[in-house]
Amino acid sequence: MDNFMALLEGFSVAMQPMYLLYALGGVLVGTAVGVLPGIGPAMTVALLMPITYSLDPTAAIIVFAGIYYGGMYGGSTTSILLNTPGESASIVTALEGNKMAKAGRGAAALATAAIGSFIAGTVATVLLSFVAPYVAEFAVQIGPTEYVALMIVAFLTVGALLGASVLRGLASLALGLFIALIGVDALTAQQRYTFGNPFLADGIDVVLVAVALFAVGEALYVASRLRHGPVKVIPVAGRWTNWMRKEDWKRSWKPWLRGTFIGFPVGTIPAGGADVATFLSYASERKLAKGERKKQFGKGAIEGVAGPESANNAAAAGVLVPLLTLGIPTTATAAMMLVAFQRYNIQPGPLLFEVEGALVWALIASLYVGNLMLLVLNLPLVGIWVKILQIPRPYLYSGIMVFAAMGAFSVNFTPVDVFVLLVIGVLGFFMRRYGYPIAPMVVGLILGPIFEDQLRRSLAISQGDPTALVSTPIAATIYAVLIVIFALSFWLKKRQKAMESEVADETPVATVELKEGGK
Amino acid sequence: MSSSINEAPGGSGTKAATARPLGELVFAGMIVGVGVVGFIAGAQIPIPPSAGVVGPRVFPFIVSGIMVAIGIGLVIQLLRGHTGAAEEGEDIDPNVKTDWLTVGKLVGFLAIHIALIVPLGWPVAAAVLFFGAAWSLGAKPWWRNAIIAVVLALILQFVFAGLLGVSLPAGFLLEGVEIFNG
Repeated sequence: MDNFMALLEGFSVAMQPMYLLYALGGVLVGTAVGVLPGIGPAMTVALLMPITYSLDPTAAIIVFAGIYYGGMYGGSTTSILLNTPGESASIVTALEGNKMAKAGRGAAALATAAIGSFIAGTVATVLLSFVAPYVAEFAVQIGPTEYVALMIVAFLTVGALLGASVLRGLASLALGLFIALIGVDALTAQQRYTFGNPFLADGIDVVLVAVALFAVGEALYVASRLRHGPVKVIPVAGRWTNWMRKEDWKRSWKPWLRGTFIGFPVGTIPAGGADVATFLSYASERKLAKGERKKQFGKGAIEGVAGPESANNAAAAGVLVPLLTLGIPTTATAAMMLVAFQRYNIQPGPLLFEVEGALVWALIASLYVGNLMLLVLNLPLVGIWVKILQIPRPYLYSGIMVFAAMGAFSVNFTPVDVFVLLVIGVLGFFMRRYGYPIAPMVVGLILGPIFEDQLRRSLAISQGDPTALVSTPIAATIYAVLIVIFALSFWLKKRQKAMESEVADETPVATVELKEGGK
Repeated sequence: MSSSINEAPGGSGTKAATARPLGELVFAGMIVGVGVVGFIAGAQIPIPPSAGVVGPRVFPFIVSGIMVAIGIGLVIQLLRGHTGAAEEGEDIDPNVKTDWLTVGKLVGFLAIHIALIVPLGWPVAAAVLFFGAAWSLGAKPWWRNAIIAVVLALILQFVFAGLLGVSLPAGFLLEGVEIFNG
């Protein structure tokens, strides 16, 4: 009941007109960047960090929470309405909505995605409100050894499981850990990897690296293989009030709920974040469908939109559980949120609910509010998002470059930082080109210093004996769970590959039909 | 409008991938190199007497070791012909060759931007960056690019320096204009 009272208090903060405005601004920006290809919520949070210093912590956190949830909504609009032949086939879950839109059912796809996201987001936020305090209570009792174990789980799942190539993911992680080492060692005040350069002695700012990798790296990479010509958006017909037919509601509500209850737990354990959740939901909807509906999968089945979209949003809420209670981010966006907290001297972790209770509950309350805003904004305003989606790409990526340069310059107000932005941006370009995922590097960069600190503490307690790292019962359990997660995810990856080729085999038939009806 | 719609959707990025192994090898080699440098420079980190059992060198050595091991693993993978899958995206055309010229132009304009911030002020540097990037990416006509560049730079300067108090230098052209200075 205590938590419930705290949540109500959180609402009383989040409902203040000023904070409502910040939340509205956050979800608007979040949806816009979610809609735009090439920009994600992680990059937006990174970009906005240096230029939101003048806000008070609560306002800033509410803005970032809005961006976080808004980005999830916006992404579905893009995958449903953007007509990029050949490409989206690699992401099975984006396929159904796109196919529905091509068959003239885009409105229903958008509606089921938005309503599903709202339901999943709300239910998952309720779960977050009640699960997180208990996890925090448990987390208070664990020591540095267990922390080391938890962070190793986060490193390995983010590094090895997220991308297509295990080695490339781990290489990206190691690069992040390495860049984090540059500067002065916090414990002994010795300079490391600074090569006598006073600029490097301050360390390389996390925000700088993140903006460089996400914004400049992406802009350079897209520029190298830009799809020229006008942006083809599939038109949406009709008034938004009758987008969903009775039949659509009937077919959607179960996938919404299933997606929610698949997404939330998958989000909370560091097992690859939203991608795994959406795939699991898609696979189960496909399995559960019968007869005619099963045949629709791969050609635009509404269940294949409703389920994964809900799972995606529920996972986003789930990711906040380890972030808030343990201080462990499991996605790039969560990692940037962690940095945002740190900028305001707020340390997410077991003590967060005690020390910064008012702020955390205001954050959680603003998630409820933001979700409602997103539902209201997304359905009637889809026309605006379509307009944003159609921004000519040369202007879009030039704008991204300018914003990145501004964010980099605002870190310390020196052009040297913009130069670092350029160098790391070029690194990000080559990483994308050669198939190295970006997220592990950002997570390594942010968790690296915390990990080293905990590792040295636990080794100091055991007087240098490394076996102590695995010998406490909780730590041993965590490593055992890690092995299970790995076994499961390799099995999942195999299934996903099999299903992708299966669905891809079925699609040509569907595209032929569409060419007549689509235009 | 019509030609690209009729493309076979099955065509993936494999065509471009065959031309890449050399660059990939260099990149993987660089990871090994960073690891080696990490070891050499790591051995020079002074260990103060106050340091406990685990000094400031241990974690750098662990990370360097991981980099060398993974880098070698990647080189072996590449030599066996397992190349990486280049990232996909909505704006990426999987069927075109790498346009190095455009990438070079973007890098060049960002470098010019860096050089201009202090002498001419942020708005001028930003306008040059936008104009140059838009031109490099193929936006036409040039005068529209220029108008958008100037307007965007002024809006950003006004909102972030004027309203939010971010200390972007306005430069000598706008120094006297109050709304562009925080």
